[in-house]
Amino acid sequence: MFQLPRRMFVAAAVAAGVALAGAAAFAEDYPSKPITMIIPLGAGGSHDLNARVMTSVLPSYLGEPVVVQLMPGASGRIGTAAAAKSKPDGYTLLFTHNFIDELQQHVTKLPYDPNKDFVVVARTNYAPPSLVVRADSKYKTLKEMLADAKANPGKVKFGHSGQWGAAMVPGAALLQAAGVKMTLVPYKGGGPAMRGVLAGDVDFTVAFPSVITSQGDKVRTLVTFADKRVFKDVPTSGELGFPDVASIATMQRIVLAPAGIPKDRLAKLREGFAKMSKDKTYMKLLDKLGENDEFMTGADYQKMREKQDKSYATLVKELTK
Amino acid sequence: MLHSILASIDLLMRLDTLLMMSFGLVLGIFIGALPGFTTTMAMAVLLPISFFLSPVVGIPFLIGVYKGGIYGGSIPAVLVGIPGTGASVATTYDGLPLTKKGQSRKALDMALAASAIGDFVASFFTILLIGPIALIAMKFGPPELAAVMLLSMLIIAFSGTTMVIKSLMMLLLGMFFAMIGQDPIGALSRFTFGFFPIESGINLLPMLIGLFAIPEVLLSIEEKTKPFVEKSVRPEGDRLTLHELSECKRTIARSTVLGAVIGVIPGVGQVVAALMAYAAAKTASPHPEKFGTGILEGVAAPEAANNAVNGPTMVPLLTLGIPGDNITAILLGAFVVQGLRPGPQLFAQQAPLIYAILFSMIIACVLLYALGYLLIPLFSKVVMIRKAYLVPLTIVFAFVGTYVYRSNVFDLYFLIFFGLLGYAARKLSFDVTPLVMAFILTPVLEYSLGQSILLSQGNLLHYVVIERPLALGIILATPLLTYLMWYRTRKLRNPNPVNGTLPLPAEQ
Repeated sequence: MFQLPRRMFVAAAVAAGVALAGAAAFAEDYPSKPITMIIPLGAGGSHDLNARVMTSVLPSYLGEPVVVQLMPGASGRIGTAAAAKSKPDGYTLLFTHNFIDELQQHVTKLPYDPNKDFVVVARTNYAPPSLVVRADSKYKTLKEMLADAKANPGKVKFGHSGQWGAAMVPGAALLQAAGVKMTLVPYKGGGPAMRGVLAGDVDFTVAFPSVITSQGDKVRTLVTFADKRVFKDVPTSGELGFPDVASIATMQRIVLAPAGIPKDRLAKLREGFAKMSKDKTYMKLLDKLGENDEFMTGADYQKMREKQDKSYATLVKELTK
Repeated sequence: MLHSILASIDLLMRLDTLLMMSFGLVLGIFIGALPGFTTTMAMAVLLPISFFLSPVVGIPFLIGVYKGGIYGGSIPAVLVGIPGTGASVATTYDGLPLTKKGQSRKALDMALAASAIGDFVASFFTILLIGPIALIAMKFGPPELAAVMLLSMLIIAFSGTTMVIKSLMMLLLGMFFAMIGQDPIGALSRFTFGFFPIESGINLLPMLIGLFAIPEVLLSIEEKTKPFVEKSVRPEGDRLTLHELSECKRTIARSTVLGAVIGVIPGVGQVVAALMAYAAAKTASPHPEKFGTGILEGVAAPEAANNAVNGPTMVPLLTLGIPGDNITAILLGAFVVQGLRPGPQLFAQQAPLIYAILFSMIIACVLLYALGYLLIPLFSKVVMIRKAYLVPLTIVFAFVGTYVYRSNVFDLYFLIFFGLLGYAARKLSFDVTPLVMAFILTPVLEYSLGQSILLSQGNLLHYVVIERPLALGIILATPLLTYLMWYRTRKLRNPNPVNGTLPLPAEQ
């Protein structure tokens, strides 16, 4: 009766000893075990899909598999908090986007500080959102819509993908810049919001290129929130007189590591992700997903991130006052 | 259309498609059978495999995982009373009593047959009626969804086996639990008392495992003198006979229709379909008092319905390119990586391929039945495990299953909390079904109600009456349908059973 636990204890002790010895012997040999990449979002979203592409290529450059762990909930705060609390040993990463990373701190009290608790490994790519209406909408241009909204505050209905989400922020930033009031209707994600546009429940939504292309001639795109055109005949927000909206509105997909990660490990990760971004299979799969592969180094993105912090602070202040 | 359909069959008839689909089905069944591993997780993990296969192989593979997973959830529900997913909650009501009577094989066979038939028929009609289904799905916006949610909750509360007041209490409790965490419209925290771990709210999985598995374990410890299954040479019992299956044909037909109709409405899903079908079967039955005591109809009703939902949920994805739930969102990912963007464009250009995918759903049902039939003897051996081992094993599975879901220690506290709550409910003759139903539906109700108010721009009544005839119709039908369900099941709720022959909810 007492033998089993004791035997188990001895086995556990031996195993722990081996593990410790192993850890000591290979301390410099990072990575020596699979790396966990936390995504603070749900299954099937664009981050999940991007991550599946990344993890099918990354092992060739890091030497170890990368395991995706989905931790959705509370607008991305649950997964981010878990990553912030994890050991900064390079075995836990966070794959997130700017609206969670830099915007949430201005909306609510967080159990972490994004700027102190994380360092940037890389920006893997970005997604430029566009404003779309149904093909038979009376709004032919953005100007017409904004004029109508100005004349009738609250009349135009904007269906977005959820409070402070990737489709809401671009639209809200535009409304703020144009100084108009509309009715904001949240949907559970970009798909249902697009359905709302197609059914005529709302006047417009904000969506990413791949979603828009799949709708063919059922929708009309009025403006793209980016520095350069995505669709040949659709103007950018800058061209229409809103120069500052694009930098707030673009969704940046980023990989973060908990602050305090040893310098050499961070360097190894940054190098691995940079190599991944040049991989042929990676580029091909992303292209099929309708995503670009515009990679940016962690150091460069860090500067962009500091600017976002300031612009989101202003945006949230304006919108919630 | 006919030409496209014939071309699509040509696309599908290849050995690698059938083999990969079978592989997906077996994986799905095993993963679905493990508590804590959801079909969605399985599909997300297996998705990259499809990247490197041709579309007519890779996507049927994922469809196999999907169908296998939804069926697999019924296995632990029948054998140990743990619903692997929300969709198999209602399967535990008669599945576990059947196992205790030594008829686990029959119960598993019935779950399989009902799942395969429900899925097959619903998928078949989906192919025939894909155009009209897409049009109807479009009519269900936020106000209609809110009305359907309210109706579903009331029907469950008024058709239970306990007093209506008790059911309503459980309903309200479920609504309260659902409101803990972020509010869905404005993303503000509610009832969290500034406590971060519960900001994302209570998760369904610890609640389900807690409410269903833990009380079962505690009760079987109390009854330790009685063996789990009556001792016999073959404790798993005989296989299902054709006669028994044909006795349930009306139930299966009703559940299939109900499941398919619910599947057409975006955002409602398998859980509601299964619970509603169970309630409907009970209401329509000449012997409603037998439900919950271990009858095959009680297994057939929810299992046919939850699988019948699968076919129609594919319609918004394939016709509009809009996924209705997480599972179809992952399928969308599989499509786009293949360079296929579902939507009106793709349907116009590549109709044979779309029909091939739809037909693979039908073939998957046939394969599901064949593979399930071969695997059931293996699973039904679980009941041969001695109770002294089975009970601790169930506890281990309950805790491990809860933890692996999202590695949150807090979920374990919720598991214990709901375990004790479920145990107390059993002892006090409260039925937990309305609680679960309200917990699952309240977020959808609240969200769609909030959206409706925003859409109405402040004048909800005017908006519903003038612009939303369908929502108005559902709202007007609600009192009538609720009364009907209450009237048909009123005899079950005799507060003073004369000689104890009436089933108490504790028997469920």
